[in-house]
Amino acid sequence: MKKKKMIISRETMDVDFVRKVEALSGTSVRRCFQCGKCSAGCPMATFMEHPPNRVVRLLQLGQWQRVLAGRSIWYCASCETCSTRCPNKVHLASIMDALRKLSWDLDGPSKESYVQLANKIFLDNIRIYGRQYEMRLAAVFNVKSGQFLKDMMLGPKLLSKGKLKMFHSKNKNMPEIEKIFARIEEMRRKGEAL
Amino acid sequence: MTTPLNYSYYPGCSLHASAGEYDLSTRELFKALKIGLTEVPDWFCCGATPAHNVDELLSLSLCAKNLELAEQVEGDLAVACAACFSRLKTAQHVLGESPVKRKQVEKALDAPLHLDGNVKHLLDILARDLGLERLAAAVNKPLTGLKVACYYGCLLTRPTDVTNLDCVEAPTIMERVIESAGATTVAWTHRLECCGANFTLSRPGVVIQLANAILDSAKAAGADCIMVGCPLCHGNLDIRQKEIEGVYNVEYNLPVFYLTQLVGLAVGLGPDKLGLDAMIVNPMPLLKEKNLS
Repeated sequence: MKKKKMIISRETMDVDFVRKVEALSGTSVRRCFQCGKCSAGCPMATFMEHPPNRVVRLLQLGQWQRVLAGRSIWYCASCETCSTRCPNKVHLASIMDALRKLSWDLDGPSKESYVQLANKIFLDNIRIYGRQYEMRLAAVFNVKSGQFLKDMMLGPKLLSKGKLKMFHSKNKNMPEIEKIFARIEEMRRKGEAL
Repeated sequence: MTTPLNYSYYPGCSLHASAGEYDLSTRELFKALKIGLTEVPDWFCCGATPAHNVDELLSLSLCAKNLELAEQVEGDLAVACAACFSRLKTAQHVLGESPVKRKQVEKALDAPLHLDGNVKHLLDILARDLGLERLAAAVNKPLTGLKVACYYGCLLTRPTDVTNLDCVEAPTIMERVIESAGATTVAWTHRLECCGANFTLSRPGVVIQLANAILDSAKAAGADCIMVGCPLCHGNLDIRQKEIEGVYNVEYNLPVFYLTQLVGLAVGLGPDKLGLDAMIVNPMPLLKEKNLS
């Protein structure tokens, strides 16, 4: 990535994408003046190929495909340090949320699949059980990511301490949660929500 | 005579599973302090980080639904988990500011929104509603000589205009609460640093690196133990501590308590009522050494 030449022209810029990010996140991408304070305080910057301030800069330059293709957005921990410290009140954590949503909707342009897989199982669990079911979360993740032995040593310890529940009780009002999921899907089909 | 304190209670998913001891110690502590706590009937998951990560509308809708369910129970909403607390407060904040999102969520719920109820973290209730003086008056087994590293993590204080719990860069609410229970607090560098949170499932290597820095800092500051108010922080610092010690070839042996467990000890509750046996790093040798068990 470092040595790759970056070409910026009217053709490469995509202001519509920036507008979409701003609508979703409720904050300004264009207001960032690259002081770098977000990246200085970011606990996850060491794991990213584009640190947070560069993610914003790439957006400003219309290079959103590079952002969505990378793993940076999926390595953001949502700790909100960046948003808290930004001198220009750019809510970067919300921008990261918006970028993940847009990447999620495009279904997999990013190299980082484990975080997305974990998110997917988490949301499936809410729809099926109404609440989080940690046992299923870990088990399905291990199977689907092909890491059958991941954290195997922790399992028995957690079970004996009562920290992993084998069974799960369902909410009595489950139809209500299904309706919420269904109505959101309906709104998106009709173009009433992003 | 002060007015009795009564709250609706949103435990959240973790407290019904991996953080059962946080739920138990919260209920027992509140009982001992004569604070009413009634669980919100049939609450749903707040969506936590994964929901807002990829689908803000879903996250806001789930939180709005929970706020609506909480209306059935009288009193402000007490929340134990820092992540649930952050999500519920964020939903109130965002839906209060954005008419567009508010309309979308109303449509998703097919009901008017109830956003006016107060959402409070347990720390807020102990420090402000009950008050530190009354808390101190309820202490009958002060935690004398116990050096505690108070770990805030991310979501209790950030972002400041949303959570309104304490100063965002230099909070003191945890220290004030536990000092009222007779403990000593240590000054340390990593009390606001991220532990890696839910990367514990997808990318545990991240958690091991970040949690190690936190444990290392607490140990260097001379702490006997760490106190947290979040089940994810607890999981990463307690459950993964042995593994971290192996990776970095160090020995921390730092018990990680929930704030309700330590305050519970100080008001005289026994280990069985605080779920101390569920902690992975055994706290009993430390408590014996300090004459606290």
